[in-house]
Amino acid sequence: MPDYSAIVLAAGEGVRLRPLTRNRPKPMLPAATRPILEHVFDQLIDAGIDEIVAVVGYRSDRVQSHFGPTYRNVPITYVSQEKQLGTGHALLAAESTVDETCLVINGDQIVDSRIVRDTIAGHEPDSAATLALLQRSSLEEYGGVVVDDGRVTDIVENPRDDREYFLNAGVYVLEPAMFDAVGGAEPRAGEHHLVDGLSTLIDSGETVRGVVSDGVWVDATYPWDLLDVSFELFDAGIVDGAQTQSGSPGASVHDSAVIREPVVVDQDCVVKPGAVVGPYVCLGENATVGSNAVVERSVVDADTRIEANATAIECVTGVGATIGPGSIIPGGPGDVRVEDRIFEDESLGALLADRVTDRGGVTYVPGSIVGPDVDVHPGTTVRGTIAEGTEVRS
Amino acid sequence: MCGIIGYTPAQTESQPNRDILDVLLDGLSDLEYRGYDSAGVAITNSSVSVYKRNGELSELEATVPDGSVGGYAGIGHTRWSTHGPPSDENAHPHTDCNGSVAVVHNGIIENYRELREELAAAGHEFDSQTDTEVIPHLIETSLDQGADVEMAFRRAIDRLEGSFAVAAVFSGSEAVYATRNQSPLVLGIGEDGYHLASDVPAFLDHTDQVVYLQDDQFAKLCPSGVEITDKRETLVDMPVKTVEWDPEEAGKSGYDHYMLKEINEQPRAIRNCVRGRVDEMTGSVSIKELDDLDRPERIHLVACGTSYHASLYAARLFRNGGIPATTFYASEYDASAVPIDEKTLVIGVTQSGETADTLGALRAANNERAETLTVTNVVGSSASRETDHVMYIRAGPEISVAATKTFASQQVALAMLSSTLTGECSHKFVEGLRALPGQIQSILDSSPAKEIVDTYANSDAYFFIGRGYGAPVALEGALKMKEITYKHAEGFPGGELKHGPLALVTDRTPVVAIVSGKSNAEKMIGNVKEVEAREAPVITVTDSSDTAENYADHLLRIPDTACQFTPILANVQLQLLAYWTANQLGRSIDKPRNLAKSVTVE
Repeated sequence: MPDYSAIVLAAGEGVRLRPLTRNRPKPMLPAATRPILEHVFDQLIDAGIDEIVAVVGYRSDRVQSHFGPTYRNVPITYVSQEKQLGTGHALLAAESTVDETCLVINGDQIVDSRIVRDTIAGHEPDSAATLALLQRSSLEEYGGVVVDDGRVTDIVENPRDDREYFLNAGVYVLEPAMFDAVGGAEPRAGEHHLVDGLSTLIDSGETVRGVVSDGVWVDATYPWDLLDVSFELFDAGIVDGAQTQSGSPGASVHDSAVIREPVVVDQDCVVKPGAVVGPYVCLGENATVGSNAVVERSVVDADTRIEANATAIECVTGVGATIGPGSIIPGGPGDVRVEDRIFEDESLGALLADRVTDRGGVTYVPGSIVGPDVDVHPGTTVRGTIAEGTEVRS
Repeated sequence: MCGIIGYTPAQTESQPNRDILDVLLDGLSDLEYRGYDSAGVAITNSSVSVYKRNGELSELEATVPDGSVGGYAGIGHTRWSTHGPPSDENAHPHTDCNGSVAVVHNGIIENYRELREELAAAGHEFDSQTDTEVIPHLIETSLDQGADVEMAFRRAIDRLEGSFAVAAVFSGSEAVYATRNQSPLVLGIGEDGYHLASDVPAFLDHTDQVVYLQDDQFAKLCPSGVEITDKRETLVDMPVKTVEWDPEEAGKSGYDHYMLKEINEQPRAIRNCVRGRVDEMTGSVSIKELDDLDRPERIHLVACGTSYHASLYAARLFRNGGIPATTFYASEYDASAVPIDEKTLVIGVTQSGETADTLGALRAANNERAETLTVTNVVGSSASRETDHVMYIRAGPEISVAATKTFASQQVALAMLSSTLTGECSHKFVEGLRALPGQIQSILDSSPAKEIVDTYANSDAYFFIGRGYGAPVALEGALKMKEITYKHAEGFPGGELKHGPLALVTDRTPVVAIVSGKSNAEKMIGNVKEVEAREAPVITVTDSSDTAENYADHLLRIPDTACQFTPILANVQLQLLAYWTANQLGRSIDKPRNLAKSVTVE
C-alpha cells in the first residue's frame, strides 16, 4: 500500500447536533465513551495511514488538547480553517500540507478501516479521484452517487428521484489536481463543497472512480442519534461491551452493583452499591452512578453524575451534567422539537447538555432537550426544549 | 542553568558523519528552555572544530557550515549566563590553548578564581570570563604531563569544587567523556549512537532508553558503547530505564504557544494526578508511594517561584488539619537555625526536581535528620533520588518557562497529601477533587479573559489581592503576569493593601481581586472598595456573582466548589489573563527574557 497521508475534516460545528455542540465540534462528541474523531483516527491507523492532517476550526482547542501532537504514534498536523465555509474550503486549507495523492475523510462519521482500505486499493493512477460508496436504502440526508462501470457519472446531494444511487461514504483518494477543481468550483450559498470539485472533474472528462465497499458506517445527524451510533459500535464489536469487570484504570464498580452487558465503563468512573447499569450503556471518563440508580440504553459523557436512586433510560448527556437524586428519565418514545421541526416518537428519554444541574426529584417528559448550564430545581417536571442557562422552577 | 549535550555515533560501516551536527542542533533546540543567550557545538576528528554564537540557537544554525562536518563525536551547549555576559567568547564549548580539547559545562565552579590564577601564572591564556574555561586548561596541563585523555579528564574534574555536569571531546579521539556532581546528566542508549544531555527531551527523538548518571560517576561514550565508572575507575553497571514520555508531546499541537497548550492541558493533567489515588465510595485518599509516611509533628515546605506559591497553599491546608506547617524560600532555608528533628517532615516542591536552591535545602534537611519528601514532576530527578520519599504530580512535560499545568497539579497533589497526613477527608472532598478537571474545562470553554485584555494591556502595573486560600494564588497571578508581560505586577493578601501598597494604586493600575463567597467575601469586598475609591479598575475572579458583581468592572467567573479548591480554579483565570495580556503585547511568551525553565544554579 502506498504511504498516504490522510486529511481529516474536523472543523465544522455540526449545528444539527446542538445543544451538545455548545463547547465542542461534532467530531468530539462521544460515540460510546470516546470522541467520534478518535474512532476515525483508529480506523485510519488500522488501515495503514501513518500521517494525519486534521483541519480544525470550531472550538479547535478541544481537538488539539485531546489528541496533542500524536495519536498512537502517528503524527498529527493541525491546519486551521478560521471560517467554516464548506468541506471544499476545508480541503483547500490543508493544500499546503500535501503535494501528492492523499486520502480525505470526514472527521464526524465513523467509517470501518475496511472501507478506507478498499478505497485506497481501488484507486488507479489514471484517475483524478476515487470515492468510497456504500449500498444504503435511505439516502435522503446524504450524498447520492451514480456509477457506471466503476466510473462516477453524477453526484447529487439529498437525492429524491428513483435512479440507483450509492451513498457517498465521505472517504476520498484525491490527486493534487483536485485542489484546483475545488478552488475553481462555483460556491453554493457561500460554501465550497468538496463534491462540487468532484463534479467539476467529471464534467471536464477526468476519471473519478467509485469503489463499492461494505462495513460499518455510522453517522449522527441529530443528538439522539448518538444512542444508536454507540449501540451499533457495540453490535459491530468496535467497542467491547464485555470488559467492565477487568476495569479501566482508576474505575471502581461496587460488588453489589449489577452490570448488564454490553456496557463500557471508562477510566475513573465510580459505580456505587446497588446500581443497575445496562444493557447498552456508555459511561464516559470519571462518570458517577450513585447507589441504587438505574441506567439503561444511555450515553453518559465524562464527569456526569447520576445520583442515588435516579433512573436514566434512553438518556444522552453532555459533560459534567448532574441527574439529581431520585430524578426520573423514563425513556422514549417522545416527540422532540428542534427549532421549527417536530420529530415524532423518537427513542429519546431526555438530552442533558453540558453542565446541566438537576437538583433531584425531577421528572422528564420523553423527548426533553435541556440546554447547557440549565439549573433544574427540585421536584420540577421538564418538558420540551429548554434554552441555555435557564433556571427551571416548579 | 545551561543545557549540555553530547553524541557519539555507533560503529557502523555506513554511518554518515554529518549526522553528528544535526543530532546536536536538534537536541539543543529541545534544551533551549534551560537557557538561550548563547549556544555552541564542538565536533572532533583529527582536530576539534568549534562553532559558537551569542544569541538564540538560530544564530548558531546560521553559523555552522552548510555541508558536512566530518567527525567522530560532538558536544553542544546552550547557555544562560552566570559568569560573564552573553557573548561569542563566553559561549561554550571552551578550549585549551592548543584547541585540542573542547568542554561544555552546566553548573558553577566555586574555586574557579584560584584555578584560573594558578593556570594563568603557568602561562595559560584565557579567552572568556567564564568559570568553565579552567577545565580545558586543567586538562591540557595533565596532557602535557603525559596523561592519556581519560586520565587528564579525571584529574581536571578532581580539582573542581562546586556543582557541575561536564562533557569533553579531544582531537583524534572517538569518545565523549562526561561526569556530574550535583547537576543533571542523563545518558541515552540509542541504536544509532550514544547520547548525553542535561535532560531527556534532548535525545528522545533518537531513543527512550536512558541511564541516569549519579554524582561522581564518569561516562565514556564510544562508537562501541557506553562505559560508566566510579571515582576509582571501577566499572559500574547502571540500570537502563525506559522513558515513557511521548517524544512528540513536546510539540505545540496547533497552539501558538506551549503556554496556552499547557493551560489547556490542565484538565488532563489533574485527571492523571488524581487517578487511582481517591475512592469516592469510602471518601478516602491514598497515595501508594507514601504508605510508609506517618503524620509528622511539624512540616517545613521548601520551594522557589511558582512552587513556593503552591507550598504556601499547602502549608495552609496542613495547618487547618492541625499540623504546624511553614513555607520557606528554599534559598533562605537555614536548617541549622530553625527547630528541626526526625519528627519534622521537610517537603521540597520542585517541578523539575533539579532546582538547585531546593536541592540545597533538602540536603540541609537530610543532614539534620529530618524526614524528607520531594513533590515533583520528573521521575528519576535529582531531588527524587535524594529524599526519603517522593510523590509525583504526573503533569507530563512542561515546556513553557512560565509554569501553568504543573502549578495546578502541584496544588492538587499537595491537597491530596495534606488529606492523607492530616486525616481530614470526606466524601465531599473526594467529590470536589473529581469535579476539578471538568470545572477547569468549563473555565477554559467560557473565560472572557481574552476579550478584556484589550482594555488593560497598557496599564502601568497590576495588583493581585486575595485572602485565605486565595492569597497564595494572588501572588502566583502576579508572578505569571510579570514573567511573561514584563509589566510590573505584585500580589498581596487583601488585608495588606492598606499597609503600604495602596499608595501605588491609581486609575492606571488594575486590581485583580479573588473573591470567594465561601470565605472572607465581605472583607475582600472591603478591599475592593478601597481600590475603587482610588479609581483603579477592578477585575474580580469569583464563584459568587451576587456579592461581587456590584464592585467589579469585569467578572471572571469560576464554578462553585469547596473553599480549598477555589484557588485552583481562580488560578486558571489568572493564567489566561496573563497569557492574553502578553499575547496582546507581543511578548516572547514561552521564553521570557532572562528566565530559564529549570534553575540549576543557586
